[in-house]
Amino acid sequence: MRDALRWVVDEATRAGAAFADARAVEQWGTSLRRQDGKTDALSQSDSLGVGIRVLVEGAWGFSCTSEVDRAGLKRCLETALDMAKASQARIAEPGVMAELEAFSDEYACPHDQDPRSVSIEQKMAVATALETSALGRAGDKATNTQASYRDTVKREIVANSNGADIDSTLIRALVHVGITVADGDIRQKAYEHKCGLGGFEIVEAIDPAALGTEAADTALMLLTAERAPSGKFPVIVHPSIVGVFIHEALGHNAEADLVLGGDSILAGKLDEPVASELVTVVDDATIPGSWGSYKYDSEGTPGERRTLIEDGVLKGYMHSLETAARMGVTPNGSGRADGYNARPIVRMSNTIVLPGTSTLEELAKGIDQGVLLEGGEWGYVMTAKGQYTCHAGRARLIRNGQICEQLRDVSVAGMILDTLRDVDGVTEEFEMLTMGGMCGKNGQSMHTNGGGPYMRVKELVVGGQERI
Amino acid sequence: MGELLDMAVRACEAAVAAGADQAQASVSRSQGFSTSLELGAIKGSQAATSGGASIRAIYKGGTGTSSANVLNLDRILEASRTAAKLAQQADPDPDFVSLPAPQALPEIDGLYDDAIAGMSAGDAIRCLLVAADEALDSAPDALVSGGVGSSVSDGALANSLGVATEKRSTSMQCVIRVVLRGDDGVGMWFDYTYGHVMDDFRPDGIGRTAAEGAREYLGARDVASGDYPVVMGPFSAPGVYGAVASQAKAEDIQRNRSYLIGKRGEKIASDVLTIVDEPLIARGAGSSASDSEGVPRKPLTIVENGVLKAHLHNSYTANKAGEENTGHASGAGIGTTNVNVKLGTRTAAEMIAEIDDGILITSGGPNPDRVTGDFSSTVDFGFKIENGEIAYPIRNAAIGGSFLEFLQDIEEISSDYRDDPGEKMPSMSVKKVRLAGSA
Repeated sequence: MRDALRWVVDEATRAGAAFADARAVEQWGTSLRRQDGKTDALSQSDSLGVGIRVLVEGAWGFSCTSEVDRAGLKRCLETALDMAKASQARIAEPGVMAELEAFSDEYACPHDQDPRSVSIEQKMAVATALETSALGRAGDKATNTQASYRDTVKREIVANSNGADIDSTLIRALVHVGITVADGDIRQKAYEHKCGLGGFEIVEAIDPAALGTEAADTALMLLTAERAPSGKFPVIVHPSIVGVFIHEALGHNAEADLVLGGDSILAGKLDEPVASELVTVVDDATIPGSWGSYKYDSEGTPGERRTLIEDGVLKGYMHSLETAARMGVTPNGSGRADGYNARPIVRMSNTIVLPGTSTLEELAKGIDQGVLLEGGEWGYVMTAKGQYTCHAGRARLIRNGQICEQLRDVSVAGMILDTLRDVDGVTEEFEMLTMGGMCGKNGQSMHTNGGGPYMRVKELVVGGQERI
Repeated sequence: MGELLDMAVRACEAAVAAGADQAQASVSRSQGFSTSLELGAIKGSQAATSGGASIRAIYKGGTGTSSANVLNLDRILEASRTAAKLAQQADPDPDFVSLPAPQALPEIDGLYDDAIAGMSAGDAIRCLLVAADEALDSAPDALVSGGVGSSVSDGALANSLGVATEKRSTSMQCVIRVVLRGDDGVGMWFDYTYGHVMDDFRPDGIGRTAAEGAREYLGARDVASGDYPVVMGPFSAPGVYGAVASQAKAEDIQRNRSYLIGKRGEKIASDVLTIVDEPLIARGAGSSASDSEGVPRKPLTIVENGVLKAHLHNSYTANKAGEENTGHASGAGIGTTNVNVKLGTRTAAEMIAEIDDGILITSGGPNPDRVTGDFSSTVDFGFKIENGEIAYPIRNAAIGGSFLEFLQDIEEISSDYRDDPGEKMPSMSVKKVRLAGSA
């Protein structure tokens, strides 16, 4: 395949492409679902295809195919060239690509047990153990359980006209357990996940009893929780929500393609203060075993640890080969593609807020009436507007410096730069997310992760249901 | 029998030969292209041709699925055997009764158009650039992005009980997004057009609408927390009745993980709310003759005058409940098609005119948790209403509450609406919503 991709790139160059790349992506995966005592759905898939990207007379064309013989690749290249020609109808700024030192490498992420060599029975046993522990804890209050296991093996081969020749294999595994409980008319649910980059040993290292019990305990506790308050409050954000927040609010705005497209509030702010001095943010593709890590991006550029904000000052953006060339900086390995049928775009890897020096107790001490958000679930952002939303699976009321009553799930909304400016406390305690995040952008879905310390924000809009 | 259907039938035969009790196979082929726009110019164009098959095998009620991403019979038959093997490894499920038997399917007009199938990338790009220029004419300082795309798809579905269906469709869409940056903040808005047929693809005007909309959001202000009467616009209100429709699926109710458990036949909303799922509308975006198991589609009244009347079924849930299959299988689960509501008698402007101090939500709204029925969400875009008029755009506000209480507080559905293919999208007024603001 590497020879075939090199042939495609050479043909594209001969046809007039100033830049060309060809990526073959081969994926294999298993998923299984267990609910209400039965592992009733098993699935296995594999796929192979090639995506070809060409830059001709300043215009981009892309095409993809699952017919990977020489004839299929030739047709695919011709279509990509046709698409580039169609794109020439109006070009504002001709496309350019950074010419990075070309890497040639064969790589597989560290793993002990390739999931393809693990029996389906072993994988089913994991889901069974998760469900059994959750049910055992929740007893007759449980009304529904769901447990699942998923693994993927993704091999990506990249050849480009800069000379890149990368053959990279990433393996990931994820388990999930969810439970719904009821007491009279009140119904609540909770989930727990574990995931990582590596083989089946990731799953074997998990204590399913602890994970299932944790999900059940959370759900049971929510049965007696109050609804969250509505209004503007001082807020302490748990690491799991800091991870979601920093991904949505800061991370997307620091993607250089959005900056160049006029879609980011961070455009033109390099080396300016954009956050409290307590805030330092990195996007780090090199964290061993983390869900969002990789050695090479989909353009054959090594992934890096990129400092986005240092002591409150914006220090850089995440770049693909193209955005780096347009901004005159060195690419930092953030050009990632969902599969063979998608072109690389700027993406995050593991986006984290670095820890500070405070303790959670110290953060709470200064709050008369506020909210502690826990259990990060999801979020979204409107980058150009600078507005974000994050959803917490549960919360706690803070009164007179004490963390008090349990609250149900709640969303918070904010203006990104206001929130970053209003951070007035960061703990030494730090956690990475475990949810197996899949970030959506331009119709593509990508493995990303995040994390951080507890963070205190002076004021945040809490979209609860109760007046206090 | 076409090539795709022949492959689907043979895939089912292979799964059964490999030990499955029953099998279903869908085989599809599609091709299309898309062009993206950035800062008023073309960012790039891409084309995709794809084909493949998905096989679902059943053994003693357990399900195994596998897929192939090429239209190669050997690969598809291999996937069939894999699915059959997985089904035999799954736990038996006595609640599974059977895949559906073949039935006659209705005819639906307007899901395919040669004009779209034959559309060149160059012609599509010209439509996109005209729309972009409209936006720039309306707002020369606008940051204009968006895209255009079209596709043509063929599909076949078969099962081992004799279901054998074929379908063909085209679609084309164009979207324009506008960002305006001013001294008083950022304004942004969008508009789009979509159609299975060229007559419904109407890019004229969407650039201007997006630009004018973006200008209206400049100068957004914080708003005080409180309980407000609310009007939800045509991009917000459908989220409310769409949530009711999608959360009425029988799967969640049978699995005891829904706030709608035990509510069928009960009044869950105010009298003004009647929700119908209408899959047979000619040219409808969500229209189709059969669901993903080959069961004929038909209209279904989900809520009538506030009363929850029906659950949405696929073959598994219908058989388990001993009820008629409503034909809402979607992928491996259950989903809606074109969801519409009974229209009211007054316009949105008339509803707004009666509010002294309220909120107009134009994007965002309640997103109820399917288990608890609570909601907590952001007002993505909205305006303050004062003395019966739209006063100013608002920012940084969230709403929260019980969705069932919210539904009871719906006062009116408007008579005017945005008319998308298959779906009329009206506005909705609500007596009182708890809003958290930042003023």
